[in-house]
Order: sequence, then structure tokens, then C-alpha cells
Amino acid sequence: MPTGYLQCLKTPPVSVLTLQGISKSYGKIRALNNLSFDIPEGSIFGVLGPNGSGKTTLLSIILDVLKADNGHFLWFGHPGSPAQRKKIGSLLETPNFYHYLSAINNLKITHSISGRGDAAAIDSVLQKVNLHERRNSRFSSYSLGMKQRLAIAAALLGNPSVLVLDEPTNGLDPVGIAEIRELMLELNKKGHTIIMASHLLDEVEKVCTHVAILKKGTLLTTGAVEDVLVDEDVVEISAANPAALLTLMQKWGAAQSVSLADNRVLLVYPKGTARPEDINRYCFAQGITLNHIAIKRKRLEAKFFELTNN
Amino acid sequence: MLQIAKTEWLKIKKYRAFWWVMGITALTYPGINYMSLAIYKEAMTQKSKELVKMLFGNPFSFPETWHTTAYFSSLFIFIPAIVVIMLITNEYTYKTNRQNIIDGWSRKDFMIAKLIDVILLSALVTLMYSVVALAIGLSNTSDPNAATTWQQVHYIGLFALQSFSQLSLAFLAGFLLRKSFIALAVFSFYFIIAEPVAVKILKYKYHNEIGEFFPREISDRLLPAPAFFSKFNEAAYKTSLNDIHYHVYYTLILLIITWAFCFWLNNRRDL
Repeated sequence: MPTGYLQCLKTPPVSVLTLQGISKSYGKIRALNNLSFDIPEGSIFGVLGPNGSGKTTLLSIILDVLKADNGHFLWFGHPGSPAQRKKIGSLLETPNFYHYLSAINNLKITHSISGRGDAAAIDSVLQKVNLHERRNSRFSSYSLGMKQRLAIAAALLGNPSVLVLDEPTNGLDPVGIAEIRELMLELNKKGHTIIMASHLLDEVEKVCTHVAILKKGTLLTTGAVEDVLVDEDVVEISAANPAALLTLMQKWGAAQSVSLADNRVLLVYPKGTARPEDINRYCFAQGITLNHIAIKRKRLEAKFFELTNN
Repeated sequence: MLQIAKTEWLKIKKYRAFWWVMGITALTYPGINYMSLAIYKEAMTQKSKELVKMLFGNPFSFPETWHTTAYFSSLFIFIPAIVVIMLITNEYTYKTNRQNIIDGWSRKDFMIAKLIDVILLSALVTLMYSVVALAIGLSNTSDPNAATTWQQVHYIGLFALQSFSQLSLAFLAGFLLRKSFIALAVFSFYFIIAEPVAVKILKYKYHNEIGEFFPREISDRLLPAPAFFSKFNEAAYKTSLNDIHYHVYYTLILLIITWAFCFWLNNRRDL
């Protein structure tokens, strides 16, 4: 669990970003529909949704690339402004650089506009994303993964306290994905806030402290990953005789529902009410010795499909 | 403003197309003028040189060379216009206009940056013209003195204003169309063919001078044809000289409208 999450719990959350009633349409297509939520400081906030759910549109609005039709947003309690954007490291949709310039010269432009970092910092971020060897090569000669790394380097330049990343692992190989994950966790430990749009649910689950799930421009749910993922406790138990165990649990009736999957009995309880020790004691008293007992978290993927398919 | 200019210089100084086009312009201005000078000199070696002198005077000596060189050089404004169009359409092609905003420029800052680009290019071509005019004047004036040398130096200002106005129209084409080839094609067609033909048709077929208010024509009339054209129609030549100061005002108004529109549209557009 990312330590930033524990920090968020200890102190009252300060909102890095507040969205209020954000709506956006492209002609007849409603891209965002009255979105409102807060992003707490020190969190790694994942924005999830199927293709076309409005993730990139949302990030574009908060970075002033697009104008919202309705609603407003506040960065640290203030309306968005160029001065604030200078302090935010961003990667939006695709790496956008001057094709005829090298990595170093492109980052010089980023530095010149944003004021973030300096010559030493440019060198440092290129090393961090493993682009240092190709720092003098033209952007047009880079592979997709290298272009993405440069975009991440630009976002990291000057060590901004807030990062907005749209599909940061797009085009990266598994090693690169793992490196970015570790980098985000490392930054979060130091108190950085990261807002991330991603399709890689597995990565979001490993990295994010909070999540908002969008579908067709509408917010389905938002909150801490722990709260969004789990709305019930699922206890998984098994014994030498799964059928007998299933019958016993069904007769007991303590759980909300009882089912059998892969020779394991699944007991569903309302969130926070499961007592594994009671289950274990009851089974033993009825002559069945359990060889496995665990509380299972609903995977984010399962929750994601559940929410977006309804 | 200085930081914006520095950032634009970071973009431009490594852009090869910029240096190529500036190099071509630097060859074109002296090229066309020295070619014209060569034709004049050749004519002056013929038996009819007295007639030539009577008709044409000496358009390549001071003070007239400022006017003559400005006129011939201004015919090639479409060459630096290529760079102006590329500088704005590249931003849309590579989506760096978006990235500049994301990194911390306001939309106004972005437009100021592009305005600086056009001003820079206008200043560079004006400098090139000035050097060529000075060189031609010095080499073709038998006894240059301060009075004759600088008498028509105001053509430098007129050239600068015309260049800025016409490069601003090139910018507008690139800004509206956002694709380099389309913008270049539309601009070239309009500039070289459509408007000049329309102005002539209106003037000669319909006896209507409304063409003088067309976008290119407004600034074109800042630099009327050189003095030797007066021999063909003295009244028209005098009128064209008298109209210059009106067209200074018209050009300034057009510039304000052009850039105000660009700033306004950029502020409203999704990037």
C-alpha cells in the first residue's frame, strides 16, 4: 500500500484539485457530464474509464487545453492559471515535442516556459528515464517508448509537487512500466501528488491511493481505492471435502451468500462484518478442519467491469 | 516578453528550414536587384543610352535606389512567408502549441510569441533590403553625399511596414488552416494570383478602385512602382505617391484587425 495513502488518513485532506460541475460536449456528443470530485494532496489519484469515457478530456480541461462548457475547477483553492501550470508537471495524451530538436533542446524549451529546473536538472531527469545516452539525438529519431520517456522527463523537470500524467506507461516495455511505477511510488513517498489516467487496471491497483471511475463522461464512483474496491467482505475457505463444507456453510446461514468456485467455498458478508475466527471455530466444532481461510479483496478489474457494464 | 522571445529563439535557431529560407532570401534580394541593375547598365552601353537615361533616369543611384530596391525586393515576400507559415503550422502539426500552454504559457503568451516571430522575420528581411539598397546606391552614385544618400531613406520604414503586414497575412493563413501545405498553397494562390487579378479586373473592367482595400493591396501601395514608371503615366505615379500616407494608416488598421482577430480566436479555440 503506498505510504501516501496512510498520510492522507492521518491528516485532514487538503484538496490539490477541486472539480465542480465540469461538463463538456463536442457537438452532440456529451464528453463530460457534470463532474464533481476532489483530489487530496499527497495522493496518487487514478482516473479510470473505458475508451471514450472522458479521461483525456478531463485532464485537458484542467490543463487549459480545452474549455469546459460548464463548471469550474480550482488548483489549491484557486482558479487555474498559467502561473499554476508552471508548477505542475504534465503529460497529456501524446508526447508533444519539436521533432527537429534533441531531448536536451526540447527540455530547454520546457524549462524556458515553465521555469522549472535548470541545466543540471535536465541532465538528471534524462538519466532518471534512461534517455541520457540519446540526449543529443533528434526527437524524430526516437522510438515510441523513448518519446514517452522524454515526455515523462519533461513532467518531472524541476521536481514539481503535482504531476498530471495521461497514460504514462503507454508504449513502454514491462521493465519501463515497472520503473515508472517505482518512480511514482518514490515520488509519492516524498509527498508529491500524482493524477493519473490509465487503462492498466493492474498498475492502478498497485500504485493508486484514490480512484475515480468514469463512464461516458459520467462519474460512477470516486474515493480511496480501499473504499471503491470493497463493498463487501469475501471469505474464501477450503477443506478436504469441499461439497460437505459448502453444505455446512449453507446450513449455517451466517453469510449473505455462499458459493463454490475452484473447490473453494466463498462466503460473502457485508463490509467489515466477516469474522474468520468464528468461521474457523464453527467448522472445527462441526468436524470439518479447514486447510485454507482468507479474506479476499475484490480486484479493481472486477469492480471496474462491474461498474462500467451496468 | 523577453523570456518569450528567448523561448522562440530556442525553437527557431535550430530549425534548418528557417536558415535555408533566410539564405535564399539573402540571395534573392541582391540577385533580383543586381539583375535589374545589370539590365540597366547594359541598356546604358547601347547607342540609345541617352533615351534610356531620359526615360529611366538612374534608379540605382541615391536617393532613388531606396525606392527601386524596395520595390523589386518586395516582390519576393512570399519566400520569408514560407517560414512564417511553417513556424505556426508546425506548432499545430506537432501539437507543441498545446504543450506550450500546458507548460505554463497563457494563450496570449503563445500569440505574443508568434507575433515576435513575424516581427523578427520582418526585421531580418528589412535589414537585408537595407544592406542591398545601400550597397547598390554606393556603387552606382558618382558623388554620394549625406543629402542625396539619405533623402529617401523613409522607404526602409515603408518596406518594414509592408513586410510586416504581408507576413502577418501569411501568419493568418497558417493560423486558420493549420496545415502547412494547404496554407502555403492557399496563401500563394491568393497572394500571387487571386488578389492581383481581382484588383486589376475591378480597376480596368469595372472602373472600381475598391481593390485598393484588399488585404495585400493595402500594403502593396506603400511601395509604388519606381520613379521611371512615371514616364509612362505621370499623373498616376503622382497619385500613387500621394496615397502612400493613407495606406500607412490603412496598413496599421489592417495589422491591428489581423492580430486582434488571431488573439481572440486563439483564446476561444480548443487546442
